[in-house]
Amino acid sequence: MQVALNEDQRAIRDALDALARPFEEAPVHEAPRVAASPDFARALAESGFLDVACDPDLGTATAGVVVERLARLPFAVEAATRAFFAPLLGDVSGPVCLVEGTRTPRLVRFLEAGACVIVVEEQGVSYFTADEQQLRRESESLFAYPMASLLEIPEERAGLPITPGEARTRARAALAAEAAGLMAAALASVCAHLSERTQFGRKLATFQALRHRLAEAQVRTNGVYWMAMKAATTLDPADAALAAWHAQESATSTVYDFHQFLGAMGMTLEHPLHFWTYRLKALIGELGGRGASAAAAADALWG
Amino acid sequence: MDFDWTPDEQAFRERLRDFLDTTLPDDWERFSQHGPASPDLTRYAQTFCAALAEEDLLIPHWPVEIGGQGQDPWHQTILAEEMWIAGEPRGGQYMNVNWIGPTLIRYGTPEQQARYLPPIAQGKALWCQGFSEPGSGSDLASLRTRAVADGGDYVVNGQKIWTSYAGLADTCFLLCRTSEDRKRGITILLVPMDTPGITVRQIPSIIGEGDIHEVFFDDMRVPASARLGEEGQAWEIIAYSLRNERLGIPRYALARSALDRAVSILQERGDFVREAVRIEAAGAAALCEAARLASYAIVTRRAEGETIGQESSSARYATVMCERRVCEFIVEHLPEALADAHPYLKMHHQRGIVAGIAAGAAEIQLNIIASDVLGLPREAR
Ligand SMILES: Cc1cc2nc3c(=O)[nH]c(=O)nc-3n(C[C@H](O)[C@H](O)[C@H](O)COP(=O)(O)OP(=O)(O)OC[C@H]3O[C@@H](n4cnc5c(N)ncnc54)[C@H](O)[C@@H]3O)c2cc1C
Repeated sequence: MQVALNEDQRAIRDALDALARPFEEAPVHEAPRVAASPDFARALAESGFLDVACDPDLGTATAGVVVERLARLPFAVEAATRAFFAPLLGDVSGPVCLVEGTRTPRLVRFLEAGACVIVVEEQGVSYFTADEQQLRRESESLFAYPMASLLEIPEERAGLPITPGEARTRARAALAAEAAGLMAAALASVCAHLSERTQFGRKLATFQALRHRLAEAQVRTNGVYWMAMKAATTLDPADAALAAWHAQESATSTVYDFHQFLGAMGMTLEHPLHFWTYRLKALIGELGGRGASAAAAADALWG
Repeated sequence: MDFDWTPDEQAFRERLRDFLDTTLPDDWERFSQHGPASPDLTRYAQTFCAALAEEDLLIPHWPVEIGGQGQDPWHQTILAEEMWIAGEPRGGQYMNVNWIGPTLIRYGTPEQQARYLPPIAQGKALWCQGFSEPGSGSDLASLRTRAVADGGDYVVNGQKIWTSYAGLADTCFLLCRTSEDRKRGITILLVPMDTPGITVRQIPSIIGEGDIHEVFFDDMRVPASARLGEEGQAWEIIAYSLRNERLGIPRYALARSALDRAVSILQERGDFVREAVRIEAAGAAALCEAARLASYAIVTRRAEGETIGQESSSARYATVMCERRVCEFIVEHLPEALADAHPYLKMHHQRGIVAGIAAGAAEIQLNIIASDVLGLPREAR
């Protein structure tokens, strides 16, 4: 048992941080609700960080480390699905998206022309490359991810050598890792704000009513982090479902508190909080939401 | 990251399970529900701990020089988990081996060590912890039980409360005030419980017979040689004791075990079908897992030789969250467990409901996380 990053993982995390450092500032003036950075996406794609899972010594465990770290950035970069499915997909450029079932239209994160869309159905897992006709960009979406509606899923799709259960497990581990990073970044930004802002002659962070809820958010964030790392390491269906549930459950309570504690400032596009919280809101509804994650965990644990 | 046990750790766990299987009496589950400090369990713990000692399983984490095997924190964690899952048949002796012994090893005089360590290592000692007072719970440093030096003795007057095991204990690890300095005015005395001037009164409680007591000290006199460390050194010594005990009891392990038992009871009678029930159970399991991993992250650092400070409060609060959720699940879906239908679940409930109170209340953990983990400016006082 070693519930800590190993040396390789720490080195990769630090190198990733170095790559991301020039992009850490929240882009408050451009693309205010979404914040994507094509420059960073390109640098990241070239860096190979998203392909760490292809190296058997690093595996999806290290993909989890990478995904969690990237989620802390104000920029939305498609990393989670790509990093967890890289060993199965071979060479893909563009973002990787994942949908369960073939219902359309449906909102899909990072969907764009040229994106690889993985379709998980009971009878198998397949993928296709999306084209312009199959999607409609949702530029009014609040979700802080580049979002599009998938309008149709083509009959012609390539198969992926993985069972639907295994695909869901990877998707849940990826979701939990991403949520852990989003929660960590949101928590840090709220703590920083409350440590600065004074009301009633005191820093807001000295009010116990707020401190306790922030402390509980820390406990949740820490729990989601380690559960995500475990799920990424073991790719065990129970671990992944429990991690996804804890991530989605914790996101529901913390997102509310984080916005509450920022007051009106949290409603503005000047403060970056909304990037993380609205992404968390998107994750709450993924993969069937909390109920589906819990049901999957119960199936895996107790049959 | 590695989430597997080594073969050695796995074998240690299996050895403990075998030992528990063959050693615990047939009616163990029924009588363990009386609480770890009940007279029945306390008496049984003497037999049980002596048997553990025979098998070198009582103090395996103590240094080799004093009879232990110098096992690492993972073995200590596994030992604590298996004992707690079984309903803690060591009774109050878990305190002896976890922190009283190690504290005496570090701070005791040779005479104190010669007197107190062998009975602990043989599983024959029973200590109680005289910390809390009617006016001093979470705010322990406000304690007022006073020890006054008089010739070569200390004369003690005051009162302790919520003291577990006091009814049957042979020695008390007692905190007293020797000067007005809030923290540096506190001194530890090691007090035989048959010293004249001590009165113990049991407090009836919902968590089991014999569990908590009041202890009164009226002109109780002990020699200065009963003092552990220097006058005023108590706060430093307790900080060291807690370093061994920071994570507290691995409650997440019993909580998960109780949850699994509850689910299997529901399954047997065909009641684990409704999605609503399954979802609740999975949520409780997730919180147990969160607490377990948060604790393991701390144990990993201890095993690597780091000194663990306040960051273990996060794991402790996670444990409170999971205990609460598992208790709620059982109350909601197997209420008969709180009557007499499922002794194991009742045993869990009795131990689970105090998770957020005993040994540092939940809100105190949150205060610590806010200041020391999140680094927020301190609360106004
Ligand atoms: C089963 C059991 C066994 C015990 N055994 C022992 C024993 O053997 N020896 C011993 O010495 N003691 C023992 N105790 C006592 C235990 O250590 C105390 O209960 C604990 O320290 C809390 O103190 P209190 O009960 O006085 O609660 P209080 O301190 O009165 O607290 C009541 C509530 O107020 C909250 N609170 C207090 N201060 C603050 C603050 N600053 N900010 C926010 N909230 C706050 C607490 O979190 C709690 O929710 C035992 C308790 C139990 C339940």
